[in-house]
Amino acid sequence: MSATVQSRLHLAVTETENDGGPRRFGYRSRERVYQWLFLAPAVAYLVLFFGYPVVKNVAMSFQEYTTGTFYTGEAPWVGFANYVTVMSSSLFSTSLINTALFTAGSIAGQFILGLGLAVFFKRKFPLNGILRSLLLLPWLLPLIVSSAVWRWILDKDSGALNNFLESLGIISTGIPWLTSTSLALAAVVGVNIWIGIPFNVTVLYGGLQDIPDELYEAASLDGATGWRAFRHVTWPMLRPVVSVVLVLGVVYTLKVLDIILGLTNGGPANSTQTIATQSYALSFQNFKFGEGAAMGNILVLISLVFAVLYLRVNRRAVDE
Amino acid sequence: MTTNTQTDTVAAATSRRNRPGPLKAVHGQWGTRQWGTTALAILFLAVMLFPVYWMINASLQPNGTTLQTSWLPLSPDFTGYATAISQQGRNLGTSLVVALGSVVFSLAVAAPAAYALAYFKVRGAGVVLFAILISQMIPGIVVANALYTAYNDLGLLNSIPGLILADSSHGIPFAILIIRAFMNNMPASVIEAAKVDGAGHLRAFWSIVLPLSRNALITAGLFTFLFTWSDFLFALTLTTTDDVRPVTLGIFQYMGAYVNDWSSVMATAVLASIPAIILLLAAQKYVAAGTTGGAVK
Amino acid sequence: MKSAFTKTKAIASTVTAMAALPLILTGCGASSPAANGPVSELSVVDYYNNEPDKTIIGDTLAACGTQSGVTIKRETVPGKSLIAKVLQQASSKTLPDVLMLDNPDLQQIAGTGALAPLTDFKISTENYPQGILSAGTYKDKVYGLAPTVNTIALFYNKDLLTTAGVTPPKTWDELKAAAAKLTSGGQYGLAFDANATYEGTWQFLPFMWSNGGDEKNIATTETTEALQLWTDLVKSGSVSSSALNWTQADVKDQFVAGKAAMMVNGPWQIPTLDKESALHYGVVNIPVKDSSKTAVGPLGGEVWTVPQTGNKAKQAKAAEIVACMNSDVNQLAMAKARNTIPSKSTLAAQFASENPKLASFTELVKTARARTGQLGEDWPDQATKIFTAIQNALTDKASPADALKQAQQG
Repeated sequence: MSATVQSRLHLAVTETENDGGPRRFGYRSRERVYQWLFLAPAVAYLVLFFGYPVVKNVAMSFQEYTTGTFYTGEAPWVGFANYVTVMSSSLFSTSLINTALFTAGSIAGQFILGLGLAVFFKRKFPLNGILRSLLLLPWLLPLIVSSAVWRWILDKDSGALNNFLESLGIISTGIPWLTSTSLALAAVVGVNIWIGIPFNVTVLYGGLQDIPDELYEAASLDGATGWRAFRHVTWPMLRPVVSVVLVLGVVYTLKVLDIILGLTNGGPANSTQTIATQSYALSFQNFKFGEGAAMGNILVLISLVFAVLYLRVNRRAVDE
Repeated sequence: MTTNTQTDTVAAATSRRNRPGPLKAVHGQWGTRQWGTTALAILFLAVMLFPVYWMINASLQPNGTTLQTSWLPLSPDFTGYATAISQQGRNLGTSLVVALGSVVFSLAVAAPAAYALAYFKVRGAGVVLFAILISQMIPGIVVANALYTAYNDLGLLNSIPGLILADSSHGIPFAILIIRAFMNNMPASVIEAAKVDGAGHLRAFWSIVLPLSRNALITAGLFTFLFTWSDFLFALTLTTTDDVRPVTLGIFQYMGAYVNDWSSVMATAVLASIPAIILLLAAQKYVAAGTTGGAVK
Repeated sequence: MKSAFTKTKAIASTVTAMAALPLILTGCGASSPAANGPVSELSVVDYYNNEPDKTIIGDTLAACGTQSGVTIKRETVPGKSLIAKVLQQASSKTLPDVLMLDNPDLQQIAGTGALAPLTDFKISTENYPQGILSAGTYKDKVYGLAPTVNTIALFYNKDLLTTAGVTPPKTWDELKAAAAKLTSGGQYGLAFDANATYEGTWQFLPFMWSNGGDEKNIATTETTEALQLWTDLVKSGSVSSSALNWTQADVKDQFVAGKAAMMVNGPWQIPTLDKESALHYGVVNIPVKDSSKTAVGPLGGEVWTVPQTGNKAKQAKAAEIVACMNSDVNQLAMAKARNTIPSKSTLAAQFASENPKLASFTELVKTARARTGQLGEDWPDQATKIFTAIQNALTDKASPADALKQAQQG
């Protein structure tokens, strides 16, 4: 095949931004239509299912939205009043710090343990597949069940964890995992890590499996094995998957609600109160939906920062 | 790594098929080192899955809590299981159908979109990605409230297709992001070669891209299944009768405003996990290594 | 470049149009009130989603329906999700014909205008104690009536108390002494629910109210004394600090397992307690500060309401159902089956004699106070302040007085 034909087809397939002029306009716009057809179902779905809720949620945060509004539809516009109220409450700084600690701790724990386990499971040994599938069991349990079971395990007096530590002689009296203001957040982070490991392991394992073995062989021919192979072969190839896992991890962790509610309800004394739990409490316990939406949108703004970072990193990776 | 280096390395190294496995002469014969690794893996799993074991323990207690239990359920009480089996069978079926339907629908919508975002330099790809990320940040209750009104008008309440559509809102954005991330590593040369051979977009997608992205599709499908399986919010919001009731909502039959029947709750959770884990086991078997390597050859 | 721009504009307008689609659909959804034809079916929403309540209420509803010549189409939702459902239905104008609400939520919902006053339908509110009526009243109109109610009292383990030589306490000092005496080994003297939800507030109210505390302003000496009692009990070790995270169900589990000799709980636990053959329990009023005070319990129970559906004929029938659910016969039957107390004071004597286990509760219900009696729609905020103060005091982040002051100021 001649070079000119090959390069023209290359242009046609990849559709670069430097349009060569209107010479092949019909072909190019038909190309675009095809390409958009691939995207169209997804875009349609996103708009239909998320478009209205996003707009509604943002609008709600600027309105005085009460239980009455649900029935009458009246919601006077109050501008930023909800945001001001929410951010100047004494609970806001506590929630913000807790959210930051909760997210950082969870992501760090989940990712490191998940990556470690994914690399471990890459080895070939009997029952590998079965054991890897069993790792997904925490995700199969309804959150209401997981949080109840963990509450029992972490109970100060009769919980399995304390009983185990006492039988080993590490402690003499029960540790108040969920009822001490200094320990509760750590305990909740621990449970969230437990929930997040299966996700990280499975996605990272899939990503690891996509790295051709030939690359490792070539690297080992050059003398790079073990840790150096990881740094020079695994990590660069895994980067796109890692960045998706981290960004999604942050977005999901920021939203975590049910597990905290199930374990401590934001207590004791607001030591596990995060922005997500505060938003829920404002809306569904105190019926201040405008303020709850404002809290929720603050969370979205924080997530947006991470999303922008992800897109930056991604664009650079694609350009490489 | 650019695609050029990749193809060079692939060409330079020997074919994967000829490379011997680690320390095994005949398929199925494992050495002690492998069994040692298995033992270590079982230990990890035992620690990770202790709460699951504890749940099973609780399901076998008469009052469903582990307050008075020893480490082993020495005198198991199966009333919880009797209740669960007699009442939740239909709900389990509903959950399975909705979850599987959601996987099929989500992958059908997400895979082409991920391909488009990964390969075509479409204007607005960044916007779409951004929109997908935003969609993941919206609290579920907001989406559920909006959907309730729309479904009520369209008559989609209490319907399985309605639930499939709604639950795909968990799966589609996530699947697009994951499949796209996996696809970023696929060598474009393979697809271009197919195009040069005269394959249209659809042909190239169906015969080349999809098989190459097997790991991505399985991983995305896996989590779509899990997201849908454990969804409670849409199950609660979009159903008003007992007819179509996923098992996550069925569990709440035993949790009243005053009194909870924990042993039935735990038993239902245990029973519900079984078909799901079987499906996941089957799916995981297909996450194989180095698919791209072999195909490029 | 130009083609790309017009394309973006086209995309933008399509997106806006599609986003508007659900909005348009919502607009189409408003249903017009039906003609005044004969009513054959009524829809009901309640949160009795678990057995045995589900069947008991379901049968009673069906019987009332037959009496009025309608069939009942019933939807049961889990307790915590009822309000979310009600709000969804309110905004899509699909409220049921008969709606059950937990009594502290009634004033919130009535304030939206979504409910019809029961007095419009000539339903009698005679013979209901003041507490029950105030729970169902909003702006001087009665919107909901509760056929059965409950409150909380002190359960004690007869065997454990006899072994320790302790009599059931009547005053706070007796309570502290008894709890201390009953705490040994893995057994705590007392268990109550002090968690960071409205349940914690609910359990604290009898201590606060019987001492003269007022929910409108919690930074008073009376409330401080009540909170001091709780703090002392936890600090001295008579009550496990796990109480900060217990639900009333957990408290019952502790009592049943013998890990607590006394507990604060309600009559709905009686069936579970009766199942344990080895457990011999008794019920007394929650101790008061001294003999000059009287026990005041918080009022629990659900009210039945008639939402504004715009269909006069259906609303009239719905009112008949509500009246039927509140009839003497049904009150007695449901209360007996569900281990709660019939609301009407005229039934108290008969009920107590027929159900001796529930006698203490029947007495307490006469003086029980509604949580929303004084504050109405402002109750949720105040309830949050109360459990915040409790949590701060019990975790020693602040003294009871300071905790209450900080919470009251918000």
